[in-house]
Amino acid sequence: MAAEGDNSIYPIAVLIDELRNDDVQLRLNSIKKLSTIALALGDERTRSELLPFLTDTLDDDDEVLWALAEQLGDADFIVLVGGPDHAHTLLPPLESLATVEETVVRDKAVESLRAVASKLSGKQIEEFFIPMIKRLASGEWFTSRTSACGLFSVAYSLTSNNTKDELRTLFRTLCTDDTPMVRRAAAGKLGEFAKVVEPENVKRDMMSLFHHLAADDQDSVRLLAIEACSSIASLLSKEDIELAVVGTLNNAAKDKSWRVRYMMADKFTELQVAVGPDITKTNLVHAFAGLLKDAEAEVRAAACTRLKDFCEHLGEDYRVDSILTQIMPCIQQLVNDVNQHVKTALASVIMGLSPLVGKENTIEHLLPLFLTQLKDECPDVRLNIISSLDSVNKVIGISQLSQSLLPAIVELAEDSKWRVRLAIIEYMPLLAEQLGVTVFEEKLNQLCMQWLIDNVYAIREAASVNLRNLVEKFGSEWARVAILPKVLSMAKDSNYLHRMTTLFTVNLLSEVCSEDVIVETMLPVVLGLSNDPVPNVRFNVAKTLTKLAHNIPANIVQNDISPCIQDLATKDSDIDVTYFAQESLIAIKQKS
Amino acid sequence: MGEHSDLDRQIEQLRRCEVIKEQEVKSLCSKAREILSEESNVQRVDPPVTVCGDIHGQFYDLKELFKVGGDVPETNYLFLGDFVDRGFYSVETFLLLLALKVRYPDRITLIRGNHESRQITQVYGFYDECKRKYGSVNVWRYCTEIFDYLSLAAIIDERIFAVHGGLSPSITSIDQIRAIDRKQEVPHDGPMCDLLWSDPEDIDGWGISPRGAGYLFGNDVVSEFNSANNIDLICRAHQLVMEGYKWHFNETVLTVWSAPNYCYRCGNVAAILELDENLKRDFTIFEAAPNEVRGEPTKKPIPEYFL
Repeated sequence: MAAEGDNSIYPIAVLIDELRNDDVQLRLNSIKKLSTIALALGDERTRSELLPFLTDTLDDDDEVLWALAEQLGDADFIVLVGGPDHAHTLLPPLESLATVEETVVRDKAVESLRAVASKLSGKQIEEFFIPMIKRLASGEWFTSRTSACGLFSVAYSLTSNNTKDELRTLFRTLCTDDTPMVRRAAAGKLGEFAKVVEPENVKRDMMSLFHHLAADDQDSVRLLAIEACSSIASLLSKEDIELAVVGTLNNAAKDKSWRVRYMMADKFTELQVAVGPDITKTNLVHAFAGLLKDAEAEVRAAACTRLKDFCEHLGEDYRVDSILTQIMPCIQQLVNDVNQHVKTALASVIMGLSPLVGKENTIEHLLPLFLTQLKDECPDVRLNIISSLDSVNKVIGISQLSQSLLPAIVELAEDSKWRVRLAIIEYMPLLAEQLGVTVFEEKLNQLCMQWLIDNVYAIREAASVNLRNLVEKFGSEWARVAILPKVLSMAKDSNYLHRMTTLFTVNLLSEVCSEDVIVETMLPVVLGLSNDPVPNVRFNVAKTLTKLAHNIPANIVQNDISPCIQDLATKDSDIDVTYFAQESLIAIKQKS
Repeated sequence: MGEHSDLDRQIEQLRRCEVIKEQEVKSLCSKAREILSEESNVQRVDPPVTVCGDIHGQFYDLKELFKVGGDVPETNYLFLGDFVDRGFYSVETFLLLLALKVRYPDRITLIRGNHESRQITQVYGFYDECKRKYGSVNVWRYCTEIFDYLSLAAIIDERIFAVHGGLSPSITSIDQIRAIDRKQEVPHDGPMCDLLWSDPEDIDGWGISPRGAGYLFGNDVVSEFNSANNIDLICRAHQLVMEGYKWHFNETVLTVWSAPNYCYRCGNVAAILELDENLKRDFTIFEAAPNEVRGEPTKKPIPEYFL
């Protein structure tokens, strides 16, 4: 591994020279090759020469520093300095990097320091890591104190009791730092630090820090304290939570800054899980209802997004009651919210409440709300409802659902947004199955046919697929009577796009129709289109005939289909028609 | 099958918004050159055909266009130029259209827009995008060479004159366009420039264009041109219209615009004009592709040392 003589060091000298080059790009390249340099130098010279050199020449472009911070934290690099026993030699350059002005460099340095710490022994921690934390935490400039906050949790459990006391005191100092940036960093790390602190100290020290930060005059500090809350609460007993956490959470839900309330809404489920169902019942349901009624739309939307999760995590013994009495009145307001993002967020989860409250309550309380949202002026709201009809269907059954929602669904089938129409089409086979053939024909067949002549290609395509799925359920004979007359009549349309729809649909229907229906009803129409004036229609005749040939007797293929394709393949003047017809001939020959 | 399998694979790849190899671009462009050099300055197009306006590198909106209008080769298309610049995916957009042109020359027609030019693409994005995605400007050079071969206009069923910008004071008959030597960079003035740059305007006769190239032309100019050339309609693109299409001068000029939410912020809808075999007109309006169907938004390119 080590170099054989100074000759092999020469390229390294060049690389080290490059580390001092005026060109940033060259310095960056050199940093990228840092492990190569270290490998060639060997572990001893890496420790004694390279690392000090790097520590001394840190004044550089942020991009270079970032790359350096990343390299030094790499697990491979620890091997290059001589393994875990020497890993602490990486601390000095990283310590310097943790004090620079640029945040991303500092963050990377802290990340790398944490990685290095995980390889250190208790002795190395006490001897090298703790003194470094102390230096950073008492640094004159806020940057180093900010970085210090992220290092406590990785070192704490490896240290002696005395040091532990010191660390907690030091962390307290950072939590009460004059600079908001430092308090913010401390608040951000409070949760992870609390997790490694002994339970009795959590109760004594960490809780008071939490209260302090949660009452900070900067909202950016307060909201980070909320984030830490779920970690802290999961460490406390029920009594302690009630005593020490609940009040803070209630205040946060009513904080004068909407950003804090937003954070509260966003993290609600985590908090709820951390405090458990009983405390949720007595304290948090009310707070959540408050967020659903918040004056700020952002907060309402965030709360709406969590609505289903929130209700799911309520205790089973009181869930339905709480939803109906405390949450439902809020939802009734929200379906008519002035802000469409709020309504869209609500529409994406509201159907999920159905299984939670059961059939009767869904019909009584939720159906009217679904109906309102189905008719909302904003298409995203309508689409969200349509796409999750399934979950309601499972609870109340399709007949109830269709009775109440069918009129609205029919209306949406003609929605001006094609993606809404598409969502409705995709729902048809399920409706058909549940409604049965008679009701379906009466209410929805008309629509299914109308989609075939939609002005959007994707809808026509979906309409063909839909018909195939319907025939699969209702059978070949139904296709012949209810579907095919209309489908085949489109072969005479004056627009080639519609004539091709006939072919696309026949193509798909042949998969599910009987031989008789294919031969007697479909085939003549398809063959007729082989003389169409538009080439696009003719090459789709070739494609469709290939498909039909798979599902009908060989003699008909030979007598009717092959000659027609043969003509298209050899006599047509359009190159695409001859191409696809030849493809078709090959496919049919392979078949027979 | 064999003769097209490479091309079909490249088309599939481009449809997923993935670029093809530089070598493949080179050979695609040489095949395209053979096809395009055979086409006339005023390319004859038979109906039925769907006419589309500016695309400007908005790849996912072009996919939306194909969802709404149908795919090639099932639907026939005429694109009126401005495939590149401004959007995030000029490379994928132009190469997909070009690959479709090579695969199905009779099903799709591409004519030149004012952005299909070396000068303009160096300012409005295509040049930088090629450099970023391929690490060299070769692909840009292959593509801009092809731009020189694109037709200047099209005529549908002898009745509809289709062009990117509009008319030119140096051109009174369509035959004069046929006499232009088109295989060159778009000049700064003259008839070839005007066809790609001019706009209709409510004026009498001709006016100076605020764009600095081409002219403004009035109702009287259009009726003279249309009757002299025995056509019913001039169909063009080139100008953003919020409703996707716009009639001018008593339905003798039509603007079609096919880049929805232009530059990802204008809030406009887009349109395509579907002409059936009897030239019956049908406009289909569409909106920008929703975020779920778009690829990852292009972030700042990652600094090289990450790679």
